[in-house]
Amino acid sequence: MLLSKSEGKEFLLMGNQAIARGALEAGVSVAAGYPGTPSSEIIENLAAVAPDADLYVEWSVNEKVSLEVAAAGSFAGLRSLCVMKQNGVNVASDFLLHLVLSGTRGGMVLIPCDDPGAISSVNEGESRYFARLMEIPLLEPGDFQEAKDMTKWAFELSEEISNVVMLRSVTRLSHASGNVKLGELNRAKPSAKFNFSGNLLDAKTGPVITAPVPFRHTQQQAKLKKAIDLFERSPFNRYEGPENPELLIITSSACYLYSREALRVLDAEKRAGILKLGTTWPLPPELLKKHLAAADKILIVEEVLPFLEENIKILAMENIDSIGKIKFFGKNNGTIPSVNEMNPDHVIKAVSSILNIPYTGMPEEYEKSGQILSFTKSPNRELTFCPGCPHRASYWSINRALTLNGKNGFVCGDIGCYTMAILPAGFGTIKTAHSMGSGTGVASGFGKLKSFGLNQPVVSVCGDSTFFHAGMPALVNAVHNGSDMLLVILDNSGTAMTGFQPHPGIPSDAAGNKLPSVDIESVCRSIGAKTFTTDPFNISETEKKVLDIIENETGARVLIMRQGCALSPEKKGKKKYNVSVDSNICKGTDCGCNRLCTRVFRCPGLVWNSSTGKAVIDEIICAGCGVCADICPSGAIKRSEVMS
Amino acid sequence: MQVKGSKEIRAGVLDSGLCTGCGACVSLCPYYATHKGKTVMHFSCTRDEGRCHAHCPRAEVNLDMLSSVIFGEEYSAEPFGSYISIYTARAGDKAGLSSFQTAGTVSALMKFSMEKGYIDSAVLTKNDNGFGVPVIVNDPSGIEKASGSRYSVSPSVKGVNEAINSGRKKIGTVSTPCQTLAIAQMRGNPVKQENFIDPIALSVGLFCTWALRASDFTDLLKSMGDVSTIRKLDIPPPPSSVMEIETGNKSYIIPLEEIRKLVPEACSYCHDMTAEFADISVGVFEGRNKQNIAIIRTERGRKIFDEAVNAGYLIREEISSKDIAPLAAASINKKKKGLAKLADAELVNSEGKDAVIRIKKSTLESIFKGGALCC
Repeated sequence: MLLSKSEGKEFLLMGNQAIARGALEAGVSVAAGYPGTPSSEIIENLAAVAPDADLYVEWSVNEKVSLEVAAAGSFAGLRSLCVMKQNGVNVASDFLLHLVLSGTRGGMVLIPCDDPGAISSVNEGESRYFARLMEIPLLEPGDFQEAKDMTKWAFELSEEISNVVMLRSVTRLSHASGNVKLGELNRAKPSAKFNFSGNLLDAKTGPVITAPVPFRHTQQQAKLKKAIDLFERSPFNRYEGPENPELLIITSSACYLYSREALRVLDAEKRAGILKLGTTWPLPPELLKKHLAAADKILIVEEVLPFLEENIKILAMENIDSIGKIKFFGKNNGTIPSVNEMNPDHVIKAVSSILNIPYTGMPEEYEKSGQILSFTKSPNRELTFCPGCPHRASYWSINRALTLNGKNGFVCGDIGCYTMAILPAGFGTIKTAHSMGSGTGVASGFGKLKSFGLNQPVVSVCGDSTFFHAGMPALVNAVHNGSDMLLVILDNSGTAMTGFQPHPGIPSDAAGNKLPSVDIESVCRSIGAKTFTTDPFNISETEKKVLDIIENETGARVLIMRQGCALSPEKKGKKKYNVSVDSNICKGTDCGCNRLCTRVFRCPGLVWNSSTGKAVIDEIICAGCGVCADICPSGAIKRSEVMS
Repeated sequence: MQVKGSKEIRAGVLDSGLCTGCGACVSLCPYYATHKGKTVMHFSCTRDEGRCHAHCPRAEVNLDMLSSVIFGEEYSAEPFGSYISIYTARAGDKAGLSSFQTAGTVSALMKFSMEKGYIDSAVLTKNDNGFGVPVIVNDPSGIEKASGSRYSVSPSVKGVNEAINSGRKKIGTVSTPCQTLAIAQMRGNPVKQENFIDPIALSVGLFCTWALRASDFTDLLKSMGDVSTIRKLDIPPPPSSVMEIETGNKSYIIPLEEIRKLVPEACSYCHDMTAEFADISVGVFEGRNKQNIAIIRTERGRKIFDEAVNAGYLIREEISSKDIAPLAAASINKKKKGLAKLADAELVNSEGKDAVIRIKKSTLESIFKGGALCC
């Protein structure tokens, strides 16, 4: 369907699919990214059609490298795309700062997908500010059709101004679906050539460099002015509503849909208008001036930080003579919440208070009792690891080894499914959690505090993909500086959390073609870390190894806990063991057990039967890893190998 | 006694520096473990009542109730607690022991008991890379291998729990006073298990003034060489005030004041020097390095002891009250000091909170009044 030739026909597309289709209609040749929710499906969809669409699609080692790979495509004259989640832009930002100065050749689009409310993140980062910081155009699609159309246009805009264009999506656009009318596919396969023999100052034919900086910077700002001219006439900015509204809502992205819903629910469409902006940086001043002059009250609806609000206020102040006095409502005065996701309710509340329209959505009492009931009566379904997940077993052993050691050792966490060890799922073992690779960097620092009296054992954890992404430099740092710490690499052989994308340790590419893989163990050894391996499903050996390495080894060491993700294509649906509980032996809540398996270990495949007072195996979801048989203090859990 | 759970053990014992590392709570359930002489707790148990609390020698120990279980009488304010008789003792030729630390009384008693079938297994303590760990011995020839003083905190009661778990019904135990107290509490079936039969056939207690933090003591020993080659650890009776260590082909003498720095805080609360809840308590006879003092406390202890003497496994002699006076003074001294420290921390007969010790008020008063705080 992504390669459908049915131009003009409507299809139901997920936002990320619409973006991928837009890139294909633009004739993209190179696409690179690093997996991260909610962005991953863009690269995945392109990878799926790569052989048929003559694309090069790559899951890069990290976001910075993915931007560099995509930039190479652009430098060679190809249209290229780079995709990442919001915090990926931070990783890529150093290269980005220089890329925007050297400029691009083939159309190049950077797509960050933000995650307001941190539904699948450990931050609520804002990528929009990078567009302003880097002085590049920013586009924000307001619906699914625009997701496709604006992506296509972004490539044209990039070529027009010879610079990167940022197109920002959010979870509710990337992951929701809507109707999209397809356009024409661009199937021409351009040839790539990198020209560098022209004049040093010629951005089209000379070397691609940032020097001389003042000269290039002047050029870059001129490009941005050119973008403003195009934005003034852009069909992606449009107004709907009365000529002189009592209230003007200025909004962008998914908030546009929330705003429309709010006005409809309040029956306020004749009183308030919506200026929906698709080009949010730099703002088109003439368009804004016209609309700001037509209303006295302005409500700015956007997600996370007051990006639009600040920029509009500056523009209004600069043009106060023609616009006149305006009352602004938004995040700064508290009309709109300044954190978390937006939704129609927030907008309804804001509009009803500004326009004095009485509105009772959900009665307050009802809402409150609903909250209490859901808290007290509903089953506790917290985030946890899957049945058969190796992380549960790994943390079991790490936690126990640190307890036995008895010196208040702790684990610096990292980014992946295994971050959930801040929760009971991983027995609360993780005590710091920040960005990709940072657990090991932080541990490297902790491991140097002995002279100040810090005698606690220092452990970091990091997944296999995270190790390649940003863990490696931290390990190099720890080894080189003689930090006393243990890095545990939770190697489940894939970028599991985001949907099993390959990484450098996996012998295949995004499209499934064979590739050489990089061996983590050899990398660690060559860095100079004393390196050990273990199978986390062997919990007694793993606990012993962790304890032994903590107590009897010094310096930066590595323990690789290798066991594939239970959802990996190799393992999914294939049980190693049939597992059952002998209810005659199960001690249940008695002294001597007190439901260790269902209360502490808590694999979802173990179920507590409160009427019999015994544990049982949920055979439907049990992955057959057999670890619980080793957990049970009474030997009531039996496992037998499945005959293949 | 009031049985509570692991919450009280964690807060009132483990995290309060009161844990003696006896191992009474280990191997009963998956939540307690011991490593290098320290008892730790994995994860958390939510039960309000558990054997961990019921057996712990530092949680709600009712000395009068315990005494009535073991001796059929109230707790005695006497320096040695309840007993029948006191002798000097040493191993006889029939015991066939080739080497022993002082006088070999304990090894000879255990060996005799096992050979005669009074016990089917013995829970002793062996040296594991410098740490004392419990070992279950099922063969008389294995008893001698686990002889000798340890000095460091060792979780011996863990071995008793494991022997019970493996179905042993006539267990012989050798234990320090805190361990003996824990074993005695278990024998009283405080959690009222159905069909409970006391699995301990002979409880031999060891005199103890203090133990050493295992980890630190092992580090000290390791600094002297290979801990597996240690032949002898000994503290000769006063006035020598040193510890003698023989390892490899070297011997070391360390001043006791250095050693005392390694005594855990938990020992300073101890009120029991002579393992008052054992069947027989054995320890050094100051000034007589070829003889032990043996306190015979129970009828079954007396029976086995007498038989061992008659069979030539043990040689006993009468002991004068003058000869036991120093031990009595030291014992009453420790009792007063330990109970006073517990009382200062409001851990004796506490009201509205958990006590470590409960004891009849008049008995407590007569302990504080009796004897002199000297020697």
